[in-house]
Amino acid sequence: MLQISLRAEDIFHIGGFPVTNAELLAVIVLVLLTVISITLRNRLKMVPDMLQNIAEVVLEGALGLMDSVLGSRKESEKYLPIVLTIFLFVLFSNWLGLVPGVSSIIVHQGEGSVPLLRSPASDLNFTLALALIAVTLVNVFGAAAIGLKQRVSVFFNFGSPIKFFVGILELLSEFARIISFTFRLFGNVFAGEVLLAIMALLVPYLVPLPFMFLEVFVGFIQAFIFGMLTLVFVALAVTPHEAAEAGH
Amino acid sequence: MEQLVSQLGIDWKLLLSQAVNFALLLIVLRIFVYKPVLKLLHDRRAKIEGGLAKAEEAEKRLHEVDLIGKGKIKDAEHEAMGILKRTESDAKTLEEKLLAEAKRKEDEAVGATAVRLRTQEEESRRAMEKEAAALVKQALVRTVELAPDAIDDALIAKAVREAGAK
Repeated sequence: MLQISLRAEDIFHIGGFPVTNAELLAVIVLVLLTVISITLRNRLKMVPDMLQNIAEVVLEGALGLMDSVLGSRKESEKYLPIVLTIFLFVLFSNWLGLVPGVSSIIVHQGEGSVPLLRSPASDLNFTLALALIAVTLVNVFGAAAIGLKQRVSVFFNFGSPIKFFVGILELLSEFARIISFTFRLFGNVFAGEVLLAIMALLVPYLVPLPFMFLEVFVGFIQAFIFGMLTLVFVALAVTPHEAAEAGH
Repeated sequence: MEQLVSQLGIDWKLLLSQAVNFALLLIVLRIFVYKPVLKLLHDRRAKIEGGLAKAEEAEKRLHEVDLIGKGKIKDAEHEAMGILKRTESDAKTLEEKLLAEAKRKEDEAVGATAVRLRTQEEESRRAMEKEAAALVKQALVRTVELAPDAIDDALIAKAVREAGAK
């Protein structure tokens, strides 16, 4: 019987901390990326092999894209870790969630049975945590780049009533960003999982295949959007307010 | 609100663990991927730029060496031409000098020969004069010693003999 649960299911507990199936897959993603990273680090050389080539293409591509937004390679390299890590974490989480078997390994618990693994982005805790981190870091980078006082003045400006009102809107938009970040990713991935589950239930053979491809694409696009939006918000935050106004 | 949060499955503990997951991944990627790969890319870029600069420098130097070589060859050609001209001129001078020397020696030789011939001629003339004087003297002596009639007869007889022989 198909069970659709909005919240990730607990698999076990460590101390007082529950470990859900989404959390478990996020840890698997972490381990996988760590193994790939260490392997890459140990094989780095001036003449690259295939793994290093892929890594260099990804890094150069990301830097090129960031250059076009931030305007300088130095700035791009400064903010690359946060942007690319978000992208890679979301991408691998989405794609690993689509690997056949991930949602079909069932563990029996008390009154029911739950899948052992679940796509991390189909759990709000994952998307909300990423959104909070992204928005927090955007403001930290902004404060570091233009100064804490100027960054705070974006939200609390008592220069004039209009500026004060704009500041309140900016503050609200920060929360709106968190919510949009969270629910965009969650909605897309959760809907994709539900869609795949229903298709697999209705017509188990071949028919789910195009939807699998669609979800692979959606997984990439959502990771890309999350990363790009973070990048754009960083670019806006690190630009001085006067310069940004002059730019408009 | 609390019910909504609970319905959505939002739990601060899960939130924290996902944040920790992300932080760990960020650290791992920063240490093992971003830093070393970016450093490698910078090193490679510097190496390529250095290589290109060196290649450009080498090409420039090669061009300079080529120009120097061409200049040297041109100088050598000029020098060779100069040497040839000088040699030709020296040879002409030497030839003229040798010719003049030869002419001088020839003139000297001719002069010496002429002097020697004149001396010999003078000596011959003197010897001839001396001999002629002696012969005249001897003839006078004999003439004085002989009777004139006898001489006349003898001369007549000789003339007759010679006429008869013819």
